[in-house]
Amino acid sequence: MILRSLSPLICAASGLLFVAAVATPVRAQKSSEAGEEKTTSMGKQYEGIVRVECASIVPDYKTPWNPGLPSGGSGTAFMIAPNLFLTNAHVVSNANRLIIKKVGDAQPYLAKIKFIAHDCDLALLELRKPDAFKDVTPLAIGDEIPKLDTTVKVVGYPIGGERISVTRGVVSRIDFVSYSHSGVDHHLAIQIDAAINPGNSGGPVLQEGKIAGVAFQGYSGSVAQNTGYMIPVPVIKRFLKDVEDGKYDNYVDLSASDFPLLNPAQRQALGLPDDGVGIMISTVDSSGSAGGKLQTGDVLLAIDGNKIASNGFIDLNGEQVDMAEIAERKFAGDKLKLSVWRDKKQLDVEIELKRLTAYLMNARNYEKRPEYVMFAGLVFQPLDFDMLSAHNISNQRVRFYYNYYATNELFKEHPQVIVLTQVLPDSINTYLKDYSQQVVEEINGKPIKTLKDVETALQNEPAGDHVVIKLEGEGRPIVLEKKLIGAAHKRIKQKYDVKNDSFINDAP
Amino acid sequence: MKRFLLTTLGCAALSQSLLADALPTADTSLLRVNITSQGWNFYVPWQKVNPNTRRGLGALLEGNRVLVTAELAQDATYIELEQADTGRKISAKVEFIDYECDLATLVPLDAPGDFFEGKKPLQIDTSAKPKDKFAVWQFENNGSPVSTPLEFTRADLGEYFIDNERFLTFEATGPVQYRAGTFTLPVVNNGKLTGMLLSYSAKDQVAQILPGKIIQRFLDDAKDGNYEGFPGFGVKTSSTLDRQLRSYLKLPDNDGGVYVSAVLPNSSAEKAGLKKGDVILELGGKKIDSRGNYDAGDYGLLGMGNLTKGSAKIGEVLKVKVWRDGAALDIDMTMLRQDPSSKLVEPYMFDRGPRFLVLGGLLFQELSEPYLGSDERRERAPFMLLYATQNPEKFQAEGRKKLVFLSAILPAESNQGYERMNGLIVTKVNNQFITDIKALDEAVKQPIDGIHKIEFSEFPKVIYVDAAQAQKDNEETMPQRYRITTLKRLD
Repeated sequence: MILRSLSPLICAASGLLFVAAVATPVRAQKSSEAGEEKTTSMGKQYEGIVRVECASIVPDYKTPWNPGLPSGGSGTAFMIAPNLFLTNAHVVSNANRLIIKKVGDAQPYLAKIKFIAHDCDLALLELRKPDAFKDVTPLAIGDEIPKLDTTVKVVGYPIGGERISVTRGVVSRIDFVSYSHSGVDHHLAIQIDAAINPGNSGGPVLQEGKIAGVAFQGYSGSVAQNTGYMIPVPVIKRFLKDVEDGKYDNYVDLSASDFPLLNPAQRQALGLPDDGVGIMISTVDSSGSAGGKLQTGDVLLAIDGNKIASNGFIDLNGEQVDMAEIAERKFAGDKLKLSVWRDKKQLDVEIELKRLTAYLMNARNYEKRPEYVMFAGLVFQPLDFDMLSAHNISNQRVRFYYNYYATNELFKEHPQVIVLTQVLPDSINTYLKDYSQQVVEEINGKPIKTLKDVETALQNEPAGDHVVIKLEGEGRPIVLEKKLIGAAHKRIKQKYDVKNDSFINDAP
Repeated sequence: MKRFLLTTLGCAALSQSLLADALPTADTSLLRVNITSQGWNFYVPWQKVNPNTRRGLGALLEGNRVLVTAELAQDATYIELEQADTGRKISAKVEFIDYECDLATLVPLDAPGDFFEGKKPLQIDTSAKPKDKFAVWQFENNGSPVSTPLEFTRADLGEYFIDNERFLTFEATGPVQYRAGTFTLPVVNNGKLTGMLLSYSAKDQVAQILPGKIIQRFLDDAKDGNYEGFPGFGVKTSSTLDRQLRSYLKLPDNDGGVYVSAVLPNSSAEKAGLKKGDVILELGGKKIDSRGNYDAGDYGLLGMGNLTKGSAKIGEVLKVKVWRDGAALDIDMTMLRQDPSSKLVEPYMFDRGPRFLVLGGLLFQELSEPYLGSDERRERAPFMLLYATQNPEKFQAEGRKKLVFLSAILPAESNQGYERMNGLIVTKVNNQFITDIKALDEAVKQPIDGIHKIEFSEFPKVIYVDAAQAQKDNEETMPQRYRITTLKRLD
């Protein structure tokens, strides 16, 4: 993923909606003679395309000791190998129970997640008992990206009924887009004009009987019409290859942002010929793949032998695609060969690709329990997307950590950013409610860099009569008298039904 | 000897009765003031906004001066004084204006002739007490005076016109009906000007009044012709009501005192050596309670800010007693004023346009609060600009006097490819660190090999602009296409 700060995706992303339907009561449907015949004939062609029903728990970051709200939804999946069903990660995220339903078969089959990739919104499911599908032919995955203006078919179980649905459209655009499931990832996606509705998610998009993509997101009606997006074959194949070793290792990227060379003065200043080749490196994450290898003002001329145009595009099999596509198809430890223009000289740079996790600060969390420490009514939580949204924090220091955690490399100093998110009212903390939603700097003289630090600092009480908590910036220290804490903590736990003092994920 | 004494007594009696007869009224002591204002457009800084004419009322003071609020006189382009009854007008100009205390005096532009004949200047009342009966003076459309009663209920500190500048404010209740053209209403107590009405809530029938004490302080300051303004304290505080905090600070339990949670750089407090963590026990001889208030006699409890931004003059020394490291300490604090124009992000800007520079369609500006504008606009502003307004010390530590940023791009040949950039903080231009717009103006005179190198704190970090083409765009495209003839304002 290469950041394009100027791209309009940021505003567009707010209009992106997941296409997973909210669970609705399912009425038993009696099949008529005619209906039976129809499903049977449909069944032959689409028997590998199944409905997925997911029961899940939505974690509660506002009240992190609570288990969260039971929820659910439905989507589509399809068989790509014996007992292996491909779907979207967002269809099965936070799942407690998964059920697969086959065309023309009322029987629910229990399934589980085999692999899940939140960064590219894909998941593989398997059945507990695969017998019912032993005669089903898996769908074959196509070889390449379909051409513009060619017809595709979207098959799935969208809202509006229980039966399988087929819509048809053409390939409208092939581009990098934001994958809204994680909120921080950009990958190749194909825009089609077939109707993609909630419930279609995870369903196959077919061309000439083969998989051309997985339907996964669209816009809400008020933003744009007739635009659905599918995850194309290269992303699917990369996912399948990644999990061959038994685990999913996530995407890797260059960890540098680029800026197009569209102004003649840029080329002149950098001593480049006026040949439309090359893109300028703007920012480099020093902890990422390109750290120490690339610098601001470098110009990338070629990537793995592919010439880079001044807008960052390369010619890949006759298609103009973003140069990021080269790194996109690679894995951790793979090499990337760059031809770099620096100080008016060309040099070859080889980069070993790795994953940069700092951007996860801004990503949505899944399959995770919210972490917290509660102490005498003071609730401490690590900063992340879900916590920030749940508490709707506007404090500028907190926002600064959130916005610049990766780009300003704040993660080097702060493995976690701990925020005093709320104060559960009690006599011990009655003057403290104005001090919530601020970054914790120190507890009992110990600097706070992780939630574990909070727990340790509170457990190892210093000499003196007080526990002292310092917040970043203006304000006064938060002071609790030791002699009051024991009774107050017990009282608060009981009144506010806080079952445990803390939850800290020891293996993050 | 006797006779002489008698005569003098007789004279005294005579003048007493004359005065009683001539107690000032709206007719004798108020003038209509018509002011046309035209500020600058902070987003298109080479042009002014639409002119706007407002009518208000001014109080006539000694020396043919007319007192109005600064808000009425802001960015004035043309001012008229008008007699309500006859409709006779003369042109006027601003003599002194202080936007923080929201007051301005107007004087005739030319010799007034007999314009003020028969008029009576108002004295200032500085001894109003709660329960006093005030009168709000207005004119009907036809010029006849209207007086409505208000009862002074309480005093407090509040903002006048400029955010975050808190002054003594009177609250008074009563039904005020706004007459036509009544922006700024003089409030009178026993025939003396006791304040200017700042705002009125018709729903609650509550008026906020700028009191006579502040008016007198403003006039006294202006007396020598050199207006200095109000000093500032420069601390942020939090209460010490929390007993746990008090025991931690070893503060005696019933002894008041307010906790200093921040000391602003270059303020009176910082220069005097006050520190974050001090507890202010006394200020100017007054005991400060645990919420930062003091006993202000007739006015009840008032915020201690009234002791520093009330009657105190610049250069005056106030005694501060603080609690530090478990013991009391006396500090002499010389009251200083921080010029708003010395701040990284200017809190307000009137009577002059924002500083900017256009370089081949790239519009650079110095960040100011008026640029950030309304809360609604702020929500869409680039985060770093908002962050800078609240954490100026981080940017000042780098050596900046002002925050120069790229605010917009007017597409032209020299800025091709940069059209969508905006809201970026400039660090260097042609390898020179940019401390303010003047530094930028100097830096753009020295392109490197015919090319301007412009660096930003964030993505895309650096852009290049052809110097000759930018010059051509400045000379041709800007005036001809965008009709911009003023390409920079440095002062």
